[in-house]
Amino acid sequence: MISKKLAIEVLNEMLATGGDYAEIFYEDSRASGVSIENGKVSSSSSSVTSGVGLRILKENRSVYGYTNDLTKKGLLELARSLNKSFNSKRILTVTKLEMIRGKNRNPIVHSYENIPIEEKIELVREGIKEIESMKDPRIVRYIGSFGNNHRGVTIFNSKGKWFSRETEFARIAYSIIAADENGMETAFEGPGCQMDMSFFKDKAKPRKVARKAAETALLMLTAKECPSGKMPVVIGNGWGGVLFHEACGHPLEASAVSRGLSYATGKEGQLIASPLVTAIDDSTIPNEWGSIDIDDEGNPGTKRVLIKDGVLKDFMIDDFNGRRMGREGNGSCRRQNYRYCPTSRMSNTYIDNGKSTPEEIIKATKLGLYAVGFAGGSVDPTTGEFNFGCSEAYIIRDGKICEPVKGATLIGKGEEILKKIDMVGNDLAFGQGMCGAASGSIRTNVGQPTLRISEITVGGRGGELK
Amino acid sequence: MKYDKFFELAKAAGIEDCELSISTSYSLSISLFHGEIDSYSTSKSMAFLARGIYKGKMGSVVSDVYNKDSAEFFVKQIVNNAKVIENDDPVFIFKGSEKYRKINTFNKELSKISVEDKLNKLYELEKKVKEGDSRIIEIESTGYEESESTLTVLNSHGLKLNQKNNNFVYYGGAVAKEGEQVKTGFDLFFDNDFSHFNADELAKSIVKETVGQLGGYQCESSTYKAVLSPDVVKSFMNAYVSSAVAEDVQKNSSLFVGKLNQKVASRKVTIDDKPHAKTLFAKSFDDEGVATKNLSIIKNGVLEHYLYNLTTAAKEGVESTGHGAVGGGSKVGTTTWFLEMKPGKKSQEQLFEEIGNGVYITSVQGLHAGLNSRSGNFSLQSTGFMVENGKVTHPLDIITVSGNLVDLFTNITEVGSDSKDFISGMRCPSVIVKKINVSGK
Repeated sequence: MISKKLAIEVLNEMLATGGDYAEIFYEDSRASGVSIENGKVSSSSSSVTSGVGLRILKENRSVYGYTNDLTKKGLLELARSLNKSFNSKRILTVTKLEMIRGKNRNPIVHSYENIPIEEKIELVREGIKEIESMKDPRIVRYIGSFGNNHRGVTIFNSKGKWFSRETEFARIAYSIIAADENGMETAFEGPGCQMDMSFFKDKAKPRKVARKAAETALLMLTAKECPSGKMPVVIGNGWGGVLFHEACGHPLEASAVSRGLSYATGKEGQLIASPLVTAIDDSTIPNEWGSIDIDDEGNPGTKRVLIKDGVLKDFMIDDFNGRRMGREGNGSCRRQNYRYCPTSRMSNTYIDNGKSTPEEIIKATKLGLYAVGFAGGSVDPTTGEFNFGCSEAYIIRDGKICEPVKGATLIGKGEEILKKIDMVGNDLAFGQGMCGAASGSIRTNVGQPTLRISEITVGGRGGELK
Repeated sequence: MKYDKFFELAKAAGIEDCELSISTSYSLSISLFHGEIDSYSTSKSMAFLARGIYKGKMGSVVSDVYNKDSAEFFVKQIVNNAKVIENDDPVFIFKGSEKYRKINTFNKELSKISVEDKLNKLYELEKKVKEGDSRIIEIESTGYEESESTLTVLNSHGLKLNQKNNNFVYYGGAVAKEGEQVKTGFDLFFDNDFSHFNADELAKSIVKETVGQLGGYQCESSTYKAVLSPDVVKSFMNAYVSSAVAEDVQKNSSLFVGKLNQKVASRKVTIDDKPHAKTLFAKSFDDEGVATKNLSIIKNGVLEHYLYNLTTAAKEGVESTGHGAVGGGSKVGTTTWFLEMKPGKKSQEQLFEEIGNGVYITSVQGLHAGLNSRSGNFSLQSTGFMVENGKVTHPLDIITVSGNLVDLFTNITEVGSDSKDFISGMRCPSVIVKKINVSGK
């Protein structure tokens, strides 16, 4: 722990050469995990992440450094090595630090750290038993795992503020490898939350999660290769939101927007999506996977309407990148841990409910693809070119969901695809993922209701869609 | 010694054998935006990984710090984690190999070069990319990174191993625009000998990567003959070789089950893992302390070796091939050090001539989502060019390539001489594949 007195001393050392903002990010986090492979506990792990990240800003320049040396000497040495980047006179002195008392929407009610490892093993084993009860010889490898993380963060900054927050999150995951004489398929399900064990007892029951993963892997064994070419695609709710995350979420982060490196730069107030699209990034939803009460530079989490009825309204902004945009941070500054300089990131990002029912959307599609399971994707925010892989998909014929297909990847340009969304459902749901970018791997929710894209390029090996 | 307490407490707690791996690292990174330093970061940090065998099971713990309470904490975590393990995999704290190859992956000259000199090269790089072509409208990023790391492994058998590395990277990304079309390109240079860096060459390559993609349009969705660039071959090679990991073979979840000494690729394909090659990636010992060796994985299309760590090797009564990878958790994984695909004799131009008409695929994206190394299936967003009458003609706008790794490696009909090194620890040339599915229009 760093005392307020030491924090003031380090902040002032950081500001000695003219920095206009300084920040100390102290982290002491612990994680543990256990996994069961083919019925037997095969691994159990624990880790400690502990260190300090110092950041100095001066106008449009950012200087960052981190260390595990938490002694006064170690911190002052790092502060001095960083302040060498500037050579003007001091413009700011910190004299006192006042605590920020933000909302606590994700309190630790029953800490995972007080739950015996055996109980976590039993939880995972419930799903393992479910897989074993299927008695399907095609399931050659099945791994269930449970991991929980206790994140302890204290931030002191030159605005004279400090805050400290402990959060906990946990995830259960099942991954399945199924094989027959024709080949091998894999499937994964991994729901997570920022609340206690009750989530896994009420919402994400291990048996259900494990069965879903096993059934998907087995189904994909029987699936034909996905056709290729341009076609209408209905994207299922929940994890389907990875489409928006890649196609539009990343390009709306200030890190790209502020440097003119996003196709959305300068388009506030313009129609950038179909009028059916309203998209939101909301870090204030209690207990959600991507929620934060206070971001990693001390700004409160907020709900931001990014796109309203197709019109671009807002961005994910951190204080530093906001400088180039003439904007203050809006609670979007995040980092994996103290080893990463923080930047603007997403939290729980989703397309809001529309008016159609999922059934209506399927019924209105004569020939196309229905994609419901997703393996993730990537994007170049500058060009908007994105891709995402489908782990479970079906062909739609005459308004009905027909045969399963595998190996589909959807590609497109964000700007074009957002305008081609021609039906939006009313069944909004979330999916939990890890998003990797400049400031590391962080927890984010993707989300959307079932929706349809009138035409998108599908890459598969099954030839033309007939 | 500083860490004696850990070994003493471990012994007292009934931990049979134990090991402590200590990594120290230093890093510096600087990036520019519009001719000024945009971000500067530096770090000095440590990481500790302690493992031990308790009642026949392996327990472990990972930590960033080693303070006065750590020895006790590590021992407690090792015991607690080992206690719940149920599987019967044999586990080892290694006594040591007979001989270890001397490896030099540290260049002491690098730290003697001033930050100013390093920065001047960076300014030069940014300027040259900007001036490289009138269609370059923005420099996305220009950066310099260097790192230095030391790994020390100590164990209760008295084994003490040490390796020191350093390297630097210059990188740059640019944005080019023509009409309404916007394209980005990126390239980097890495080494640990500063005198090898040439800002002009890297700038030219970044400019070429960027403006070269302008003016493209989608091709017809169809099956094409293709030349794959070294960058693309690298991604596929890495995924395909992962099938040689013995654990996956033993658990019936690899494409290479039952394929030892059988054909898994065209006879043109030879892939080795070369930890002893003179590269920045050279390794003298693996994470379990086993001496590494150069190993032929695929020779003239035939699978010659699986990749073993101590546990998977013991299960089959063979020796570890020195590919153990210790991370968090009780289980030891498997890794490769420097994969090399043996080059052929023909230049890339000759490969284009050889296919006559087809496509030249220059990059693939979204590997984590679009490539499944278990099934071998892939469908990936790609960039590339049309090849017509033996010459590269126009770029291709947003396409995917799809196929299966087994087919792809079986369909390699020629291997080029244009080997390139990659920062992910691989070296490979361009290849010709007989057919690949492309989705475009």
